[in-house]
Amino acid sequence: MPPRRLDVQYQDVSLRVFNWRNLLRVDWLLSLMVLLLAAAGWVTMYSASRSSDISYFNRQIMYFFLGLVVTVVIVCIDYRFLVGLGPLMYIAAVLMLLAVLAVGTVAKGSERWLVLGPFRLQPSETTKLVMVYALTWYFVKLGPRIRKLHWFLLTFIFAGLPIALILKQPNLGTAMSLTPLIIVMLFVAGCRVWHLAVVVLLGLSIVPVMWWEMHDFDPDTPREPRGFYDLKHYQKMRVYAFLNPEYDPRGSGWHTLQSKITVGSGGLTGKGYLKGTQTRLNYLPEHHTDFIFSLLAEEQGFVGAIVVIGLFLVFLLRGLSFARDCPDMAGTLLAAGIVTILAFHVFVNIAITIGLMPVTGIPLPFLSFGGSFYLTTMAGVGVLLNVPARGKGLLIG
Amino acid sequence: MLIQPKNEPERYEGVETRVQFFGVLLLAALAVLCVRLWSLQVLNLSEFTALAEHNRVSQTRLASDRGLIFARGGVVMADNRASADAVFVPGECPEDRLNAVCARLAEITGTAEKWVTTEVAKFRRSPFTQIIIKRDLTKADRIRIEEHQHELPGITIIVHPQRRYLQGETAGQLLGYLGEINQNELDAWSDEGYSLGDLVGKDGLERQYEHVLHGQDGYMVVTKYASGQPQLLTDKSGQPYIAKRDTRGHLLEKEADPVPPRSGKPLHLTLDLGLQRKCEELLHGVVGAIVTLDADTGAVLAMASTPNYDPGVFVTRGHDTERTDLLMGGNPNRMTHRAFREIYPPGSVFKVLLAAAALEEGAIKPGSTFFCPGHYELPGGSRPWHCWKHSGHGTVGVVEALTFSCDVFFYNVGLKLGVDKISKWCHAVGLGEKTGLDLPGEMPGLIPDREWKAKLYAGKDPSERRWYDGDTVNLSIGQGSAAATPLQSAALIACIVNGGYRVRPYLCEEQGPKKSERLFSDATIKTVTEGLRKCVQQGPTPPTGTGYLAHIDGIDIIGKTGSAQVASQSFQDKYKGDEESIPYEMREHAWFVAGVLDRSPKIALCVLVEHGLHGARAAAPYAKEVIDYFYANQGAASTPETAAAPDAAAAKRE
Repeated sequence: MPPRRLDVQYQDVSLRVFNWRNLLRVDWLLSLMVLLLAAAGWVTMYSASRSSDISYFNRQIMYFFLGLVVTVVIVCIDYRFLVGLGPLMYIAAVLMLLAVLAVGTVAKGSERWLVLGPFRLQPSETTKLVMVYALTWYFVKLGPRIRKLHWFLLTFIFAGLPIALILKQPNLGTAMSLTPLIIVMLFVAGCRVWHLAVVVLLGLSIVPVMWWEMHDFDPDTPREPRGFYDLKHYQKMRVYAFLNPEYDPRGSGWHTLQSKITVGSGGLTGKGYLKGTQTRLNYLPEHHTDFIFSLLAEEQGFVGAIVVIGLFLVFLLRGLSFARDCPDMAGTLLAAGIVTILAFHVFVNIAITIGLMPVTGIPLPFLSFGGSFYLTTMAGVGVLLNVPARGKGLLIG
Repeated sequence: MLIQPKNEPERYEGVETRVQFFGVLLLAALAVLCVRLWSLQVLNLSEFTALAEHNRVSQTRLASDRGLIFARGGVVMADNRASADAVFVPGECPEDRLNAVCARLAEITGTAEKWVTTEVAKFRRSPFTQIIIKRDLTKADRIRIEEHQHELPGITIIVHPQRRYLQGETAGQLLGYLGEINQNELDAWSDEGYSLGDLVGKDGLERQYEHVLHGQDGYMVVTKYASGQPQLLTDKSGQPYIAKRDTRGHLLEKEADPVPPRSGKPLHLTLDLGLQRKCEELLHGVVGAIVTLDADTGAVLAMASTPNYDPGVFVTRGHDTERTDLLMGGNPNRMTHRAFREIYPPGSVFKVLLAAAALEEGAIKPGSTFFCPGHYELPGGSRPWHCWKHSGHGTVGVVEALTFSCDVFFYNVGLKLGVDKISKWCHAVGLGEKTGLDLPGEMPGLIPDREWKAKLYAGKDPSERRWYDGDTVNLSIGQGSAAATPLQSAALIACIVNGGYRVRPYLCEEQGPKKSERLFSDATIKTVTEGLRKCVQQGPTPPTGTGYLAHIDGIDIIGKTGSAQVASQSFQDKYKGDEESIPYEMREHAWFVAGVLDRSPKIALCVLVEHGLHGARAAAPYAKEVIDYFYANQGAASTPETAAAPDAAAAKRE
């Protein structure tokens, strides 16, 4: 065995694409958080599956281990290589999105799946990850030129294409999750702050427009959207139900109302494991997917909910610290991007379950049931772990 | 695999700050979530716990029995039977079969298919509602549904107690009827365990004693799943129980021991059902009322009114048009009990009161006489008041005046006594005010006096507001504005029969007798009684009284006829000698009050036949039959006839 030092010298001249030794250098704190969150997910999923289908629990464990394989593989691959593949991934993702629009199968009215033999793929899920790589590649290539307005604006065209395709599905949730990704990565990449500020303000100005579009909304008469800026009837319905939960509490307002009841009745220490009445008696549908946090909050109470939020916080801040400490731009951007996506999911999902936001299909990482999303999350964990693993004192000067 | 690293750009100055800034944003965002969680789970815990509880448990009502109503001698007048409803839960039926099942359901239960489908469509949003497809199934319907159960997923039969009136029309108006509780009642009785859809008493005893008869519903508390409804079933003995599984097959958990329903308290009436039936039979074909009181206590032995109705039509299947007709009124109104809800000029019946009052006040002595030339003129007046006997009665004392109902005698007595004293004595015996009978809607009647007239003509010329002697003359024979119910008249005669006490009529045994201080002395009662006794005596010696048709050999009966004018004297005169051609509405009301003195219990009764022309001919024979029947069947309240009645009543309804 040659001494480790030799390895470094070796890397001075070239780069090892696949290096299993990266595994020895994974960050233990982040890994621990992942394990704890996954464990919290299993415990909660077991409770959820008891009142729906026990196979959810088994499959969720399977997804974790499948995801772990993805994580390990990604950790071992040098991220600069993957960043180099960014444009290819981008093209592949766009093609997949086009394919899903053409031949995809619709499920639950909005999400589209691509059926490939025994596999069912949700291209919009992988697009989240692809966008992180593609944008990193783009910003690394640009370097300081991002401070120029035209390059800054080009980012939106570059990132806007997949977003537009996802919106066309229509999958508002995923499209929404990509928006903060662009903003944060632009910010971290070093764009001019006022450029970004103008864009954000312009973006926020859509809210009054949509608000105005809601003014004549009649929940009982479906109407075609007036233009590209207008929401579809079912989307407006969700906003309407969120603002007026008393309208048809058995219909659209049901989720928001019942989720609040579920969380609120949990109290400080919860009703006890497997004793959540709201979820057990099926008052809260989807309590194994998008509303699993409500189940957690009902059975484990405020304490349990805070513990899980705390785990997420440590996980996300640790990920951000990688971005801060990584000596190169690529690693910084990758880490920041992954943290943004996961943070968005954590925040929006919980905000929906506690009635701060209207219902949109945003799952909670590690807890919500779902194969595609679990794999994406674990891949994201791989990307995060990969950043410091490569970075530790081994960087080419 | 190795690749050559390219020149990577250096990180720019300040990237660390930007990343840290993002970190702070993240921290703030998660802090917002924590604050919100604190607010939901800790600050508003009780509110959400209550909402979750409301979700979780379902309180299923166990309907209680309504209290039974018994007539005298324990004859059941109203009880409860098990009534089965066909209930459909659309959510339990496979979506694709829904229409077919609706059609089949309509066919089997004999309801309109369109109605079923629209009813089901109404609850599309909450498919686990129990929709009542058909209430009160017949035995045949029930068997048919049970036979076709497999074709009808979602249909169940739910049983609950339903009122049953065993006596048909007999005493129907007294019992009253049941109807669905309305919003006002619901608001007023909110803390007495009523809920929407309950049947409550709307009239009669059912109304008066609603709070006695109404039972306390019990309940069972079971878990309720978001989908599925607990089903209430009844076992073979009619006891309700909760099915083990709800409509979706979830196993239900018992949350607490069920609270059993408490039946309403029974009501025991003073009513003699045989007598009641006899009275109603007597009145068959005419519009009128017969009241029979126990003279000493005021207990109502019978209170008949025709036309009558069967309260059963309100609680049995079908009869929709009949119900509507009843509630719409109609002429004659079958819902109006004529014994206490309708007022009539008391006519000559009033003379009983006037005679007793005048004797008591000393205005006349038993020996005082007046001359009756057949008419009467006030001093200085131009208009004569006639005696009914235009040829006149000659010189009459109070006994003869009562016997022959001499009007002129009482014109004189009335004037001598004066309106104020007449009015005082009227109120003393209960004329012009409610008797206090325990039934809703009693009319107070009217005894005019100075105050009343001044009020009536308020704002008019003082000359119109003044009380004239002419008014007193009219009042003296119970005409003018005077009005009384047959019940009041019966109470008046009871006062004479029992020796001078005013009694409060009552139907429910629990009320007990209520007597006033003694109003009339022995002497007064003796004189009045003598006059009234002679009134029902048959000739030739002693002379025949106006009420001779009520005479029964061997029974000491007193009585007084009355014919209350409804049209002016001049109108009446037009038909002199040809009474048959007077239009029905213009004919006089026939009164007869009577009492029995030498039997126990003493009874007092009043017969009124609307537009019966003459009390002597139209009313007095009924009184005779009532008295005859009562003492012949006394103590035999539950005759074979009574026992057979329920079947007859039920058969009639079928």
